[in-house]
Amino acid sequence: MSDTSIALALEAAEARLRSILQTVPDAMIIIDERGRIESLSTTAERLFGYDADEACGRNVSLLMPSPYREQHDAYIERYLKTGERRIIGIGRIVVGQRKDGTTFPMHLTVGELRTGERHHFTGFIRDLTDQQLTEDRLKELQSEVTHMSRFTALGEMASTLAHEINQPLTAISNYLRGSRRLLERMEGENVEMLRDAVSKAADQALRAGQIIRRLREFVARGESERRIESLPKLIEDASTLALVGAREHGIAVTFRLDPAADLVLADRIQIQQVLVNLMRNAIDVMSEGGAVRRLDIATATGLEDQVEVTVADTGSGLAPEVARQLFQPFVTTKRKGMGLGLSICRTIVEAHGGKIWVNSPPEGGTIFHFTLRAAAHDRENEDG
Amino acid sequence: MSKASDAILLVDDDAAVRHALKFSLEMEGFDVRLYPTPEALLAEHDLPADGCLVIDYRMPDIDGLELVERLRSRGVTLPVFLISGRVTRSLRARASSLGIEDVLEKPLSDLAASIRPVLDARP
Repeated sequence: MSDTSIALALEAAEARLRSILQTVPDAMIIIDERGRIESLSTTAERLFGYDADEACGRNVSLLMPSPYREQHDAYIERYLKTGERRIIGIGRIVVGQRKDGTTFPMHLTVGELRTGERHHFTGFIRDLTDQQLTEDRLKELQSEVTHMSRFTALGEMASTLAHEINQPLTAISNYLRGSRRLLERMEGENVEMLRDAVSKAADQALRAGQIIRRLREFVARGESERRIESLPKLIEDASTLALVGAREHGIAVTFRLDPAADLVLADRIQIQQVLVNLMRNAIDVMSEGGAVRRLDIATATGLEDQVEVTVADTGSGLAPEVARQLFQPFVTTKRKGMGLGLSICRTIVEAHGGKIWVNSPPEGGTIFHFTLRAAAHDRENEDG
Repeated sequence: MSKASDAILLVDDDAAVRHALKFSLEMEGFDVRLYPTPEALLAEHDLPADGCLVIDYRMPDIDGLELVERLRSRGVTLPVFLISGRVTRSLRARASSLGIEDVLEKPLSDLAASIRPVLDARP
């Protein structure tokens, strides 16, 4: 081929690519191996709110929220170094960020192009904001969590019942024990019969206690399965599900994830359930009003082997008397719902050896905190 | 032997549990003082040198473990028994890291039997 025909062929190829990018219904972005945007389709321009002129040459991390924004270069580097595919050819639901700062769930498929020494990556993006599509894509994840919720709600009820019944049983069995001691010092023709009756009553109180214990163990057993999980990944998956509709309510979402707070010992579904619950609560609260609507999700390493997760909103905050009993079952500030959500969160977090608490800072809003055990230090699997 | 002066300081937010435990422990010869909340115990200036603490784990504002932490930080070294409607391994582990003598599950048929050896072992 002559130089001229090569130039013509190149021009034709470029024109074809341009026409594809203008007409392809999907959002499509091509980046080079350093993550810089080379071209993007018209749909992608519309979706993210950037013109091609504006976006081209900039790092594609522009289109994602923290913490992915900061980590994206490292993702590419790792892939080029190890060849290990985490997203290429697989496709995943991730979070995108528009020019105006709002985020949305999207399905991303990445393909790889190699020309000589150089790599290019093409991303196909489907916006999952559309309720119908979102529902389809998230149905699986959601049904998993819903199933677990029901299961945990049942366990929670059994556990609450056990606690509530154990209190009067404790009183009964100790009044009886004291009475028996008292009777040992007494004499009279009926005392012997009375002692016997009191002993038998005490035995029955203990029997009731054992039945309660067995019921609780039966419900508590089951599907809890603790493994070493990546905390950022758990948060990513949960937020994908929880943040549906956040944008419609004008809520900006920020992630501040400490890289040191990485591996935790957790039942994936259960901890996702806690995260989804806290995030949905925050969104519900902020949807009711307020000029600033910001949801902030952060992680940090805590004392010893603990990591701490916080979910903070800029809602109306909590009255101290509500905050105090918020984690008790059947306490709710909502018109709908049974008031079991946060109580379930507490059960799950405590079963993981962590703690959950809430505070309302003076400047407003509500911050939920919970801790999990870091995986490196403790692989114990429990609980009864 | 346990002395009559061995005071048992008991914190539980459930009144019936509190009074029933006081009754049964008094019948065993112990002197029992009751506190309806962790705050009430923390406000107590006259802590005995001997005796022990019996603390419920699940209470609304400050839980039993947190109460023990606060007492320890004030230099209170009395032996502690934690009582709870539900005893898990993680609760035991956290309790033992705070130097708690034992974690006992309600309904507590014989609390005195757990307490007595610990009090007897003290000089």
